[in-house]
Amino acid sequence: MMNIRAASPTPGYPAPQGGEKLRAGVKTRMVSPARADLGFKWLTILLAGLIPLLMGAILVELVRHSYPALQRFGWGFLVSQSWNPVTQEFGAASSIYGTLVSTCIAMLLAVPLSLAIALFLVELSPPGTSRVVGGLIELLAAIPSIIYGMWGLFVFAPFMAEYVQPALGRTLGFLPLFQGPPMGIGMLTAGVILALMILPYMSAITRDVFRLVPPVMKESAYGLGATTWEVAYKVTIPYGIVGIMGAVFLGLARALGETMAVTFVIGNDHRIAASLFAPGNSIASTLANEFTEASDPLYLSALVALALVLFVITVVVQIFSQIMLRRLYRARGGGA
Amino acid sequence: MKSVALRASYPLTDSRTLLEEAAAPVAEAWTGAKIITRQVNFYYGGHQALFDNDLEIARHRVTAIIGPSGCGKSTHIRIYNRIYELYRDQRATGEVLLDGRDILGPAVDLMELRRRVGMIFQKPTPFSMSVFENVAFGLRLHYRLSKAEMADRVEEALVKAALWEEVKDQLRKPGTALSGGQQQRLCIARALAVEPEVLLMDEPTSAIDPIATAKIEELISLLKEQYTIVIVTHNMQQAARVSDFTAFFYQGRIVEFGDTQKIFTNPADKKTEDYITGRFG
Amino acid sequence: MKLRPPTGRRLTNGAVSGLAAVSALLGLLGLAWILSGVLFRGLGALNWSFFTQLPAPPGMPGGGLANALAGTVLITLLATFLGVPVGLLAGVFLGEFGRQSRLADTVRFAGNVLMGVPSIIIGVFVYTIVVIPTGSFSGYAGALALALIMLPIVARTTEDMLSLIPDPLREAGLALGAPRWRVTLTVIFRAAKSGLITGVCLAVARVSGETAPLLFTALNSPYWPDSLGEPTPNLTVTIFNYAMSPYPDWQQTAWGASLIITLGVLALTLLARLSLRERQK
Repeated sequence: MMNIRAASPTPGYPAPQGGEKLRAGVKTRMVSPARADLGFKWLTILLAGLIPLLMGAILVELVRHSYPALQRFGWGFLVSQSWNPVTQEFGAASSIYGTLVSTCIAMLLAVPLSLAIALFLVELSPPGTSRVVGGLIELLAAIPSIIYGMWGLFVFAPFMAEYVQPALGRTLGFLPLFQGPPMGIGMLTAGVILALMILPYMSAITRDVFRLVPPVMKESAYGLGATTWEVAYKVTIPYGIVGIMGAVFLGLARALGETMAVTFVIGNDHRIAASLFAPGNSIASTLANEFTEASDPLYLSALVALALVLFVITVVVQIFSQIMLRRLYRARGGGA
Repeated sequence: MKSVALRASYPLTDSRTLLEEAAAPVAEAWTGAKIITRQVNFYYGGHQALFDNDLEIARHRVTAIIGPSGCGKSTHIRIYNRIYELYRDQRATGEVLLDGRDILGPAVDLMELRRRVGMIFQKPTPFSMSVFENVAFGLRLHYRLSKAEMADRVEEALVKAALWEEVKDQLRKPGTALSGGQQQRLCIARALAVEPEVLLMDEPTSAIDPIATAKIEELISLLKEQYTIVIVTHNMQQAARVSDFTAFFYQGRIVEFGDTQKIFTNPADKKTEDYITGRFG
Repeated sequence: MKLRPPTGRRLTNGAVSGLAAVSALLGLLGLAWILSGVLFRGLGALNWSFFTQLPAPPGMPGGGLANALAGTVLITLLATFLGVPVGLLAGVFLGEFGRQSRLADTVRFAGNVLMGVPSIIIGVFVYTIVVIPTGSFSGYAGALALALIMLPIVARTTEDMLSLIPDPLREAGLALGAPRWRVTLTVIFRAAKSGLITGVCLAVARVSGETAPLLFTALNSPYWPDSLGEPTPNLTVTIFNYAMSPYPDWQQTAWGASLIITLGVLALTLLARLSLRERQK
């Protein structure tokens, strides 16, 4: 790479003498652009620096405002199930539980689905079909989460109550997970909608990862008489496993923090239930529902503490994801 | 569903394997050649890359394919195991007879074909798994073996590929951790493990150093006792050293084919002479 | 050595291929289901008064969301004016000045992480730094929250687009004696124009459908957005409030607003993609 910096005029750079003779003012014209250049460069540095600064500021603000609640409840905040604005008892357990369970359901559905879709797009479908289908599935990512919420509450939840939950109750009803009245809304529905929401992100990255596998690696497996599936399972997936992990973590972070779609369908109940049919809540849905109602300082502080928990979880997951994807691109020499 | 099955290309109903067919008496002219190509043409989309290729690959001999870059050498051998079919716009016409059976026909079992016709690529292609698993890869696909049998077969293949002595203490190491020359021999071992009859080598030494190259050339002369070998090479000395027969390709056509000795000492065609004396290419 | 019968392998392969196709179909089905649902339910709610009237109380005929429509446009525009220039210049640092530097690496990493921070967290953050000190929910706070979400998106896409511009173009500009800032803002930006537009469109599309960061910044309001210094009506929070209400006519209105938001966001997304495709031609 050329060093462009060296080519730009610097403050100490002497103005060419010839120019000075030809036109007065040339000297100042030569100096001021250099100064403007330096100013421009520092402006971009400053604005770029805003991004890491912002990350730090978010952390500081969240800690500052959650301090009263954390001081009052300590680590018990994370494990306490009570959430009672009247008695001023706040614990994050049910919200954390709901966040983790709904995310788990989403991942269980979305990981195999996105792998299968990537496999279809890269290995099985003709290029034209792959482009169209891939583009349409990516469109799922463009739909705002509130639309998933509307659709989830008014279209999908009734469908779950009518068909899916009764069927699950009949076949798997011996498990506590699938007991209880089929209300439509609840943990399971939230998880399914989350799965649909993170699907496009994960399948797009997985598809790109599959495409990074050099054709000759695949050819040598096919050359030994492997089938498409055997090549994918034993060569392509192991080869791109770091990238696939990156995609999974990225989807995970999205699912953990998704707010509106979950708030619409999860049912908003602060109790932890064994059944996936039962309503629950998540950190994000509790924030969405209660933040503006929190008149009391301790209540508000408890909510910010919830936000802090969510922030820390998603940032850790994101960092994992970035490290994985970086390792992949660095190893394959692609752009990040 | 048809388009899906097309890329997978394994007809689900065909139960006759090539082995069974080969065991049946073959009325076709039996020349003793392992592979006979007749009037083979090859297309990349609308672009024709091979023109009326006729060639006979002798059993248990090494046949070298030489010619300038882009003349269709690799394209030609990629027909022998139909690996080109991974790409939708590539298409071959004509006849390629393996032991007298046309492998371009629709009823051919590709999995079985590719077991019988192994391929080694320009760059070594160890999979992201251990040395042992690399060799076991093909074995697991095609055979049901006990642990002990598997270990025996892996060892046998590594011995044949002249790699056993170097790696016997590091079978658990990732295949990618070996040196370039070792990686290439690992790929040869992987191909040999599934008991192929033909080995296709597409410039197998172009990415490795001269000492490793010498080892692989030595290996080739050993292997021809048991296998029929086709090697594409850029390196004329290599062709002269290792092969019994040589085909000279130019612009998708086979200009000259015959005894290596004769091609290199007394070529019949002016273009062949120009190429091997280094006047172009 | 006994060969494994290939039937099982074929069946597995066929089954997996089928499942992969079914998975893709499921994704498409989800898309079709959501879009058709929004379209059919939303169309019924749209009429002239929807675009011209203030909201009516539940049970009253007529009324519309003209105020929320205006508020959403205002907040999004303000967010764009705040977020895009900052994001573009931050991207200039990453793509032009910083490149491999440590700071650029940090910014890139923080940007990627920030893009994955839930938008509701950004809402809480802006609440603590704007709403608490000023003592009021406001359109400004909402716009700031959206701008913060746009910032890393615009910065990262700007960097990607600038990195596609070959260095000789920069050198040519500098060789003419133009200062760096001028070369960047005219020559480079012009060359990368369609890519930058794509990035901005995608960022605007992303935030114009956002709800969570507005819930406790802009809040909502049943009145015209006379000033952005007070709670400001907007479509997405209105959808949330109306959908959660027990009144069927409000829920119906929420569907109308959903359709508007969906169409707007999809139009921006498609515009962005078309712009990129122009570039690739």
